[in-house]
Amino acid sequence: MSKHTSLEDSRRQDQAATIRDELEKRARVDNPHLAKRLSDRKRRNTAINNSTRRIMRWQDRTLLVLGAILVVLFVIRTETAIADKQAWGLQLKNDTETYTQLAVNTDIQLTVTGLITRVEAIQQFINSSSQWAEGIYRFPLPQGAAVDQMRIKVGERVLESEIQENNRARRSYEKARDAGRTATIVEQQRRNQFETRLANIGPGETIEITISYLQNVSYSDYSYHLRLPMTFTPRWEPSQQSTDTLAGTLSVAPQLVAASSTTSHGLKLHANLISAVEFSTIESRYHDVDIRQVENGYRIELLNTHELADRDFELSWTPTLQSSPSASLTTFNDGESVYAQLMLAPPLADAINPQPREVILIIDTSGSMQGASLEQAKNALSHALNSLGPEDYFNLLEFNSSTQQLFTQSVPITQASLYEAHNFITGLDANGGTNMAPALSAALTMPEMPQLMRQVVFITDGAVGNETELLQMIAKNLGGSRMFTVAIGHAPNSWFMRKTAEIGRGSYVHIGKPDEVEEQMSLLWNRIQLPALTDICVAWGDSAEFYPETIPDLYAGEPLWLLARLPSEPTMIGLCGNLNGLEWSLNVNGWDAAAGEIGGDNLAKLWARKKIEALEDSLMFGADPELTQLEITGLALDYGLLTRHTSLVAVDKTTRRNNDEPLTQSDIPSLLPAGSSTHTVGYPPTASGWVSQLLLSLLVLLLSTSMLLLSGSRLPMMKPSAKA
Amino acid sequence: MPRHHWILAAVALTAAIFLLNAAWIPVKAEIAQQLLERAWLRTLAGVADAKPWPWADTRAIAILEVPRLGQRLVVLEGSSGRNLAFGPTLVNTTPLNESADRILSGHRDTHFSFLKDLKHGDLLRLQTDKEVRNYRVSWLEAVDSRQQQLVMDDTVERLTLLTCYPFNAASAGGPMRWVVTALPENQ
Repeated sequence: MSKHTSLEDSRRQDQAATIRDELEKRARVDNPHLAKRLSDRKRRNTAINNSTRRIMRWQDRTLLVLGAILVVLFVIRTETAIADKQAWGLQLKNDTETYTQLAVNTDIQLTVTGLITRVEAIQQFINSSSQWAEGIYRFPLPQGAAVDQMRIKVGERVLESEIQENNRARRSYEKARDAGRTATIVEQQRRNQFETRLANIGPGETIEITISYLQNVSYSDYSYHLRLPMTFTPRWEPSQQSTDTLAGTLSVAPQLVAASSTTSHGLKLHANLISAVEFSTIESRYHDVDIRQVENGYRIELLNTHELADRDFELSWTPTLQSSPSASLTTFNDGESVYAQLMLAPPLADAINPQPREVILIIDTSGSMQGASLEQAKNALSHALNSLGPEDYFNLLEFNSSTQQLFTQSVPITQASLYEAHNFITGLDANGGTNMAPALSAALTMPEMPQLMRQVVFITDGAVGNETELLQMIAKNLGGSRMFTVAIGHAPNSWFMRKTAEIGRGSYVHIGKPDEVEEQMSLLWNRIQLPALTDICVAWGDSAEFYPETIPDLYAGEPLWLLARLPSEPTMIGLCGNLNGLEWSLNVNGWDAAAGEIGGDNLAKLWARKKIEALEDSLMFGADPELTQLEITGLALDYGLLTRHTSLVAVDKTTRRNNDEPLTQSDIPSLLPAGSSTHTVGYPPTASGWVSQLLLSLLVLLLSTSMLLLSGSRLPMMKPSAKA
Repeated sequence: MPRHHWILAAVALTAAIFLLNAAWIPVKAEIAQQLLERAWLRTLAGVADAKPWPWADTRAIAILEVPRLGQRLVVLEGSSGRNLAFGPTLVNTTPLNESADRILSGHRDTHFSFLKDLKHGDLLRLQTDKEVRNYRVSWLEAVDSRQQQLVMDDTVERLTLLTCYPFNAASAGGPMRWVVTALPENQ
């Protein structure tokens, strides 16, 4: 019996008493004899009750306690039973006291002026717990982003950051954190992975961090493109290999992502395209957007106000006027040096004569390619074979955990070879892991054919951690091969793919949605069919530093970007190359000065970013790590850039948290990329709670039996009860 | 007096029922493992659909061994609350032999209580009816299930053990989980 029942009993007794009184009153009037008998009984009852209350007062209290313990036991029992019924999903509870709950929302504002984009990413840290918190959030930034500013907004105050060498930045951050002041630090972990730490977010408080960076707009297929990554593919590292030697260790276990049910990871985005000319199309590939024409260009906003940061944002726009000149130059003079940006546009497709090629197609058939990705890739491969010219040679390779190649050596286009190839493609099946190295090395070490330009097309959706080792292997075996990389999925390892294409003098395509694979790859076949200008050289003049150092070939529809630092204003820049198998040359002697809202010093920052990237790459090929680090740190401090060796740090002067209030650390995981091959699993409830139940019920049992025995010795049992 | 004796007796009786109920959980966990072990031997001997007990709606699919801690557990199919009472269960919904990224869950106060003693580098051996695979523990961490989810990625060979956390919490159903990740040995 429990507390509830005893309470109910007494209520029932009270009720009975009133009814009894009523009856008594009536009976007394009707029958005086009965009235006397009734009043006698009532007196007797009261006497009994009084004596019981006197003797059993302490027992009453104990009984109450026992009853309460039983209720607790009952609650535990039902909770466990309910938990048992929820086979999947999260155990959502409101005990925010115990665990810190931090959310991060992102608000992106970008302004595109000409070829340069200024992006401001505002990260909003919301602390919904009742404790002080330190938030840690990892996020990706686009390739070659030059991060140069950061500020925190605490209440009404705005704190500006400064660039500091890593260790120094860490020290000032930790000192401020431990002293209870608001502080934040932004560090680069991997090439395109960054981490924000924000200390001393008050209970129930929201703090905004604005990270600002510059990015180049890319141009291909006659349109401009801008891509902002939003999340990562969870990566894994093959266990027997060393971790990425450049990046150091990955400090996070890769298998965790944010729960989809959390109210975090919201995304807002505003874009301004500043342009005097009209665009014929403006397109957002993965998000619904609202596009409005304003005075100085266009304004673009996300339509969905509850968008999540689970897929990349990509914007493309096409200028109406197709008057792209063959070469255009923009410069900025800071007094000491001149920074120049050169764009080289390919000639029209009609002016190009196709040259014979050897095309090697490598396709990833690991388990994650299953479904639309592989089906579309298979169609695209068939198109590729059909797009080959009569003098071309080809070969096909597939890889998953192991590698298979169709022909030991590339073969000419014949009916028999095409038949075999189509059979090979039809038979492709997605299964197993992603082991890229053997496939790449097999393709690159096949003997090269004289007179043929080798194009290796590498198609994968895989994410690997040992990218440095793979790149070294590619660089070693490359020879005269051109590498074209195709990444499928929302967040594959784009740095590795782009770098492979860069050292391989080819190009890199990222296909975000599996159902775009066929279309995008067909575009690629068309593009690489016509190498417009090969073996390009640019005469920048003496002591010029320019990037990329390896100049890729120029294909139809794919212009070339070069950034350089020159000692003085150039008078003329000479270009040379190979067009249709003939020598070609061009002199550029007119240019625009960089101006407008996006100042010219941005050109300097972008150049410095390129140089830092080149220095980092040189490490991979055996440069001295200490010297390189010094050089990078120097450059980063001069140009105010965030790198692997320098961090952005901002520290508040006022102490907000007292030393006796604890600071809890909360690691905020990224979202799983939308449409990813992987999926998340729920957590089954994995506790039966039998130990506490056992102890509690044992306590109650001991207490109640001892009470029974005690009272039994003092007062004889009335009669043996049925239950006892 | 009679009323109090009645209540006391009822309290004692209820407590005894709860006591037996609680004590039954570890006993059931142990007995089920014994029966499952026998069913597993029959499975290995080629008996199709060997049931551990006649009314069972689950079956033994693997043996998990931790040599350092002397643990040997029969793994069940299907992560329902009922199955978890009998042994660690496979969270994957695909068959074990076809899953590369394997996730097992178990009760923190019965079968998987040893998870608190696991260390980095410990050997875990998982034996299915087709193969034996060795894993080494490479990550151990506590996770808040409200904020972080586990990724199941079948392009990765991995064994993950899951249980509730903290190990000595008074009541069941808390949001924290203890996650042990092991990667294949020599691969």
